[in-house]
Amino acid sequence: MKSKNITLKLIVLVVLVVLTCAYILPIYVMMTNSLKTLPEITQRTYLALPRQPQFKNYTDALFGSRDFLIPMKRPIINSTIITVSVTFLTAFFGGIGGYYLSRAKSTFTRIIFILVGIALYLPYQAVIIPLTTITAKTGLINSHLGLILCYMIINVPLASVLMGTFFLGIPRELEEAAEVDGASKIQIFFKVVVPISLPAYASVAIIIFTQVWNEFFIGLTLVTPKTQTVQVAMAMTQGSTISPYNLQMAASLLTVSVPLLIFLFLGRYFIRGVLAGALKG
Amino acid sequence: MAAIKKHKLRRMWAILSEFLVFTLPLLLFLLILYGTLVWNFYVSMADWVNINVDYTFTGLKWYKFLFGQSRFWVDVQNNLKWLILGVLPTAMAAILLAYLLELAPFRGVEAYVRTLILYPVAMSFVVTGTIWSWMYQPEKGVFNTILGSLGIQSPFTFTNNPDMATYWLIVIFIWQYLGFSVIIVQSSFRTTELQEMIEAATVDGASKIKILFSVIIPNIRAGLMVLVSLLLISSLKVFDIVWIVTRTGPGIATDVLATNMIVTAYDQRLASAGAAIGVIIFLIAFILVIPYTIYAFRKWFE
Repeated sequence: MKSKNITLKLIVLVVLVVLTCAYILPIYVMMTNSLKTLPEITQRTYLALPRQPQFKNYTDALFGSRDFLIPMKRPIINSTIITVSVTFLTAFFGGIGGYYLSRAKSTFTRIIFILVGIALYLPYQAVIIPLTTITAKTGLINSHLGLILCYMIINVPLASVLMGTFFLGIPRELEEAAEVDGASKIQIFFKVVVPISLPAYASVAIIIFTQVWNEFFIGLTLVTPKTQTVQVAMAMTQGSTISPYNLQMAASLLTVSVPLLIFLFLGRYFIRGVLAGALKG
Repeated sequence: MAAIKKHKLRRMWAILSEFLVFTLPLLLFLLILYGTLVWNFYVSMADWVNINVDYTFTGLKWYKFLFGQSRFWVDVQNNLKWLILGVLPTAMAAILLAYLLELAPFRGVEAYVRTLILYPVAMSFVVTGTIWSWMYQPEKGVFNTILGSLGIQSPFTFTNNPDMATYWLIVIFIWQYLGFSVIIVQSSFRTTELQEMIEAATVDGASKIKILFSVIIPNIRAGLMVLVSLLLISSLKVFDIVWIVTRTGPGIATDVLATNMIVTAYDQRLASAGAAIGVIIFLIAFILVIPYTIYAFRKWFE
């Protein structure tokens, strides 16, 4: 029995070392090299710590410089406007949609549920040409509103399922009591159900936020220079213009910092939401 | 009489307002979404080339056009590689890792591993791809530099080798999705029934490996189905990693349907052909998630 335990410990140890290397390396390389000078990069001492942290790299990445032609400031502002709006609106409409799906049991509801279920996995490639046409025809393509609407259309089904899963799990007694008191369904939802569902709203908001902030495909096809999102700007540092690695890594760090900070501080909600969507949906 | 009428009116108003508030918004979003899906289907059967928006019905012309291109079949092969190698190793590694964490004899290991492997969930494939494509660089990349400093002449050219490039891209995908997969498997471990069964098997003297294969895996089928469906869809939809790391290269060695769709519709300006690729991706996705949709439906309305 004892020898068995030692083998187990050894296996765990090996796995831990391998995982630690595999998962620390990329983020370590990104962080340390974003603080190095160009000569340090060309010497290829990638694993060494920066000799003197170059915080100027971040201002270069934000505002652009001779070596870095894609200032990230505007894209970060664009992405913030788009992502925050989409998050709030989608959580709102997702709550309403989820409440409907979790409380009505008619055949009509069942059909809607299946349509929502398929929409969860809809590949964007299958709708992108019409979306481009609509936003171009209505002139929305040059404003944040166009992207906000597109992201909402795509994310409301997901938010509805996530919220609905939560609503299915809350006891009906509260709602029934309010109904006896003569409250309408709408009043019950906004005054009774929503206040006790705030943790679920937080989970959904975090998931939607991360998803929209990190979205690339729709951004790539729909943005114009005026509405360029962070991911699209980030992709440009890799594509048409070659950027020095230190500045590219500084820009990467700026791009991931927002969702990564949310994840580090609110990870609990994040995991809970992901699991709710994955398992109970 | 008047009172009854008033009551009836109020009741109708309640139903109408409930419909307007709860049903209509979701209905509208779905209507737009499915509207664009149908529209795209129609475009795929039309004759839209360049900027001439032409809706003349041409049947399956563009599907035949695609099937006649070798690029399309390169995509299909690559998508198959993604579907198999993006899903099976990830799911198996997740099961083993989750089980190991259950057994872990050290304290705090689980919390540490969770944070360690889960943080990529918050990162975009654009950033992950940017970092990895630098690490993969044959001459100036991180991996080969480290190997070189250890005195090893690296045999790897990573994504520069057309025969191997797709596999190296799949490594990034697995790296990104492993943590996510582990927490899904873990949470399906944690039902009381399963814990009791494991306990009973342990008392009977079953080995840990035997418990994994004959007690745990058969009893987490629902969780595994969810996990496999999610991974299948994610690896089918893969676009960002390919676009960022290799941009379908070398040549078109790493091209997949999703990247081909963009190239066809926006670079070559064959909107109808691009729409057809979109339809094909949708149909594959639809078939892949049928088991999951049925499962979710039953669970929801049980």
